Amino acid sequence: MPSSRAWLGAALSLALGSAAVLVVIPLAVLIKTSWVEGHDRLADVVSNPGFGSAVVHSFELSAAATLLAVPVGVAIALALRDRQLPGRAFWRAAVLLPLLVPDFVLGYSWLRAYARAGLTSELFGLAWMQIQGPVGVWVIVAVNAVPLVYLIIAVGLATRAEPTTERAARASGAGPATVLRTITLPLLAPAIATAAVVVFVLSMGAFAVPQLVGAPAGFGTITTRIYADLALGSDPQGFVEAITLALLLVVVTLIIVTPAETLLGGRLQLGRMAARDTDWPSSSPTTRVIVTIAMALYLMITSGLPLLALLSASVTRAIGVPSTPDNWTLDNFLAVLTPRTGEALSRSVLLALAAASILLVLGTIAAALGRTRGGRSVSILITLTLVLPGSTLAIGLLIGYGRWLADTVVIILLAYLAKLWALAHRPISAAVDRLPSAGLHAARVSGAGLPTALVTVVVPLLRPALLAAWGVCFLTALHEVTMSSLLYGPGSETLAVVVLNSADLGGVGVTAALSVLITAVVVLPAAALWALGRTGVRRPSAFSPGAWSA
Amino acid sequence: MAKGRRGTIWFSALLQVWLLAACGGSSASPAQSITLYTCVNDTTIQPVVTQYQATHPGAKVALFRAPTGQLNARVASDIRTGGLKADVIWGCDPLTVQDYVAQGLVGGWTPETEIPATVRTPDYVGIAMLYIVAITRKGVKAPASWPDLASAGKVAVPDPNLAASALGALGFFGTKFYANLKEHGAVQVGTPDDVTTGVAQGTYDAGMTIANSAYAAQQKGSPITVSWPKPGAVAIYGPVAISKTTKNAEAAKDFISYVTSREGQTVIGRAGSYPTLPDVAGPEKPNGAPIVYPDWNALTSQKAALLEDYAKIFGS
Repeated sequence: MPSSRAWLGAALSLALGSAAVLVVIPLAVLIKTSWVEGHDRLADVVSNPGFGSAVVHSFELSAAATLLAVPVGVAIALALRDRQLPGRAFWRAAVLLPLLVPDFVLGYSWLRAYARAGLTSELFGLAWMQIQGPVGVWVIVAVNAVPLVYLIIAVGLATRAEPTTERAARASGAGPATVLRTITLPLLAPAIATAAVVVFVLSMGAFAVPQLVGAPAGFGTITTRIYADLALGSDPQGFVEAITLALLLVVVTLIIVTPAETLLGGRLQLGRMAARDTDWPSSSPTTRVIVTIAMALYLMITSGLPLLALLSASVTRAIGVPSTPDNWTLDNFLAVLTPRTGEALSRSVLLALAAASILLVLGTIAAALGRTRGGRSVSILITLTLVLPGSTLAIGLLIGYGRWLADTVVIILLAYLAKLWALAHRPISAAVDRLPSAGLHAARVSGAGLPTALVTVVVPLLRPALLAAWGVCFLTALHEVTMSSLLYGPGSETLAVVVLNSADLGGVGVTAALSVLITAVVVLPAAALWALGRTGVRRPSAFSPGAWSA
Repeated sequence: MAKGRRGTIWFSALLQVWLLAACGGSSASPAQSITLYTCVNDTTIQPVVTQYQATHPGAKVALFRAPTGQLNARVASDIRTGGLKADVIWGCDPLTVQDYVAQGLVGGWTPETEIPATVRTPDYVGIAMLYIVAITRKGVKAPASWPDLASAGKVAVPDPNLAASALGALGFFGTKFYANLKEHGAVQVGTPDDVTTGVAQGTYDAGMTIANSAYAAQQKGSPITVSWPKPGAVAIYGPVAISKTTKNAEAAKDFISYVTSREGQTVIGRAGSYPTLPDVAGPEKPNGAPIVYPDWNALTSQKAALLEDYAKIFGS
């Protein structure tokens, strides 16, 4: 029977090997291109008048989005722990709604909901004039990041090993606020830090929202500059400048993430077996009412109205006409549902399934390596491809592997794996950080091989985290468009590519219909599985709300 | 590159699917098959490819279509991995294609055609036209001349850093025109389509956009008016060019000859783009609508300086 050390060695080489293929080679390709063709122009890039403000705007965006999204996500995760909360199952599913909407329609749905002549203006005569500007970008990017924070915190709570500590404190007379401050939050610190890193990096790489919502106010970021460079990149200078700016994002991320990883170092090692979080003391009825109202308001503002705006755009025959029944049409859906899109849809679903499943394995391995030196390198490396804008990551892969893999689904799959590995890794690692080692140790001492011990002891505890990671990757891959639209070839078009090629991102009705369709593709099977689960067939599903933080 | 047993299974399953698809698609003889890179949207390119293949038995067009930014990235990646993979490029503006010519990627041959010399060079031929027009939301007075646009309320202009059509307009109007718009409260958004959407929706009162996009929205019922202000709508032609390294030169020339022919131009017009052959019918265009042409040669050399001046007006 191979020893733990041998297993660890195998896992480490697999993780490092995959990181080499998915991160190191594409990055090396970009660095080489930037250096060989552009090192003499670096000074020009940096001294360009727009450059300084783009860097500042990117930092502001990341900082603001992190400061907004992390407290909100933590608060929601804590509030939804209360099993007596009315409609808890519904809230837990509804919090995840923004994940269903692709980035490139998110901004539009907010403008349609709140900007001048938007939904609120039609209904109540209220418009949010500052939405097109820095604050609007911060808020929309933050709101979109809240589900990730929520998931990371919720799996951290679900894998909890010490609900008894909190109960003991309450029994000894500590108020809820004291328990929160002195026990719950400190114990959640690793998960909160993980969530903050993810939000910061994701916001740094955010493109679609700053482009659509920030541009009218002159709010340019590094990512919008990269896009402009590529759009004018038919001359080599623009292309090399785009790559150089993307590498700058990578350097900034390295500077931010490396110390964070080191500070996160001391993982909480708990000696006791994890207990089920079933007996978390319920809050008072008044608190419950307040929490319910707050949840309803938050979700109405951040998801309800924007999604309603999107839905109304998808069934309305033209932009700017009132969405009344005589203006309703199915044309946008018919444009999405053609034989070509049918084929592309099945390809996209297959790709997303493959990506999510492989990422589950890669994410688990990276999390299992934890805070070993090798593990830390892997976790930093995979954060770098998360921050790289999709277009530049795709360029790295195309130059690196295009000779052999161009125009195949394999190169698109590699792009998804590279881009999303960190998103799979972080929720799992947030859970692993809170995993007690005693159970695993006991199983090993009793003679179980490492795989057996993992499957029987660790996997059941990690199930919420694994489901969360799988779900996030599946959804994101399903509506990915930036990388696929650069990497596809005849016979490897994904759904978003086919639909958006016909609309060129301008056909808002068609794009909205695509989002509604993707939502249906995800929600309908999930609802069916959930219903099955409810009628007594016990089948865990990634999307049954109970499974997210069992 | 193993990724765990589960990963390997998925990987090999996908590989098989892909191999099956690849084998199924390669029935045509390779000599007749070309790869086409374009940024023209599917509404236009699909009927053109379908008609061409239907009227040229044995011919096969493998298509890669993407917005200009992605197309540029793809071409740039090709160059760095053994050379351009396209046999033909159909671009959306002369500047981009001129850049490809300057890098020795395309050009050197054009077919015999009736298409006017104003949209041709020895290296490429314009086969579709974009027109930058003004749109106003219903109830807002349409500008009779371009300077009137400034007083049409809240105005949106497309970003010349993102859309070459917007760059063409900047080249024609010069920065003073934009400075005046900005003084009157205009904002810059992304693409011309973003302008159309914003005006149709009421986020803006008026804007500059491309005619196809504006008429398409109007025909669906969006409450907008399209106007061709004096001295004229700015014309931007989309050229087609042959790769200098193509191994399928005959097939590539055959395709280019088709799209520059009366027959091909008719298909382009029916598919919703403006043909460059003057008497071929295209989408809506008022009788005698005034049209102006940017000086593309001058723009090629002034592009950087112009964008820098422009950035001082709508700068980020």
